[in-house]
Amino acid sequence: MFSKEKIVVAFTIEKCKSCSMERKRNFKEGDYLFAELSKCDSCEGIMQIEKIFGESIEK
Amino acid sequence: MVDFTNIDLDQLFGFSDDSNPLLMLVWILPIIIFIFYGQRIQLQVTSGEIKKAIKKLDSYRIEARVELIDHIKKKMNPSEDPTKKIDRFLDYFTIMPVDVDPAGIVDKVRHTVRAREDYSRKHVKSLSPEIDELQLTKILTLLEIATSLHMIFKIVNHMYLTAKKQNNYPLILPLQMILPFIMEEAEAITKAIPAFKMGQPVGDGIGPMVVGKMMLDIKKEKVAFQTVLGEKEFEGRNLFLLKAEGPGSTVGRPGDAVQSIVEKNKPDIIIMVDAALKMEGEDSAITAQGFGAAIGGIGTERFQIEEIATKNNIPIFAIVIKQSVKEAITLMTKDIANQAENVRSQIFEMIRDNTKHGQSILIIGVGNTIGVPQ
Repeated sequence: MFSKEKIVVAFTIEKCKSCSMERKRNFKEGDYLFAELSKCDSCEGIMQIEKIFGESIEK
Repeated sequence: MVDFTNIDLDQLFGFSDDSNPLLMLVWILPIIIFIFYGQRIQLQVTSGEIKKAIKKLDSYRIEARVELIDHIKKKMNPSEDPTKKIDRFLDYFTIMPVDVDPAGIVDKVRHTVRAREDYSRKHVKSLSPEIDELQLTKILTLLEIATSLHMIFKIVNHMYLTAKKQNNYPLILPLQMILPFIMEEAEAITKAIPAFKMGQPVGDGIGPMVVGKMMLDIKKEKVAFQTVLGEKEFEGRNLFLLKAEGPGSTVGRPGDAVQSIVEKNKPDIIIMVDAALKMEGEDSAITAQGFGAAIGGIGTERFQIEEIATKNNIPIFAIVIKQSVKEAITLMTKDIANQAENVRSQIFEMIRDNTKHGQSILIIGVGNTIGVPQ
């Protein structure tokens, strides 16, 4: 009766190919799996998109 | 003062008197009404619920049409207004071949469906000839969504109006029974629109996601329409990796691809990875292993793969990732995405258990490959 409306938010998980560090951010149009977009903050390695998924969040 | 503790109910309602005409009327009148007008009353009650559902279906199809036209205008920059052409597309139908004599029907179905696909692709492309393949596949999928919702609305509305016109309650019963399933499907199809517009992977893309990662950093070649193949070695075995060509929205033509691969290099086993519909009560994103060609659709691809495997005596193993209809066609859930690594390790285990050094394995990632390159 009092349950809040849920919305699905798309997230992108980037993973460093060298040190395996993961970074979660909101999905941006143009993101697709395995794309190499940025450099790792900790080891200067290449970050690759590992997963793109939706999570339900209460509004 | 009135003494409420001393009321004689029999006397008040005349229960003890069998000849009370008012009481008889209270019992008999509804019976007579239900005998003669029962079906009409039921029809009225049921039609109220169906009307609400039809209104919802109408809003779904309008939403899909508007989204499609907006997307075309935004991404294709067509020289002329595409509305008229799109409206004509929405009413296209496919006449399935006669099945009185079913021999050879699969080839006929394949021919009809492919002719429709080719026609749609050609005519959507004509709106803006310089459009890239990725955008074209997205628009074709959005067109398919809009056409499906349009057709669902038209059929449900037809069944409802026919029953109403004939004042025929039994005619509305099958519709009433099937309507919750139709609504679930229609809602899922509508909710799929944002994922395909944005190019996000959907639940059905888990198969291509698993195989796509295995294909990174190796040479790929096109083996069939919108279908790519890569080759690599794994513990002394030769792996043929096959999936639809991403990141566009397509399922490719795995049947044709398997035929071409088997003609050149006959694999010892085939492993198919696909999303599968979960049963009610089953958890989402659980995996299961089995035998046989794990591939959905109208059945033509499955038929082709089964036939090739049977002729060449190649066993087919399957790994499926369970999910609901909605999860399969909307943005991939976290639980499904988290299964990718687990499925990859299951594939390697399956290879070790069922093949020897020097043998070759064909691994097919089945499903829509939107947002999933290789």
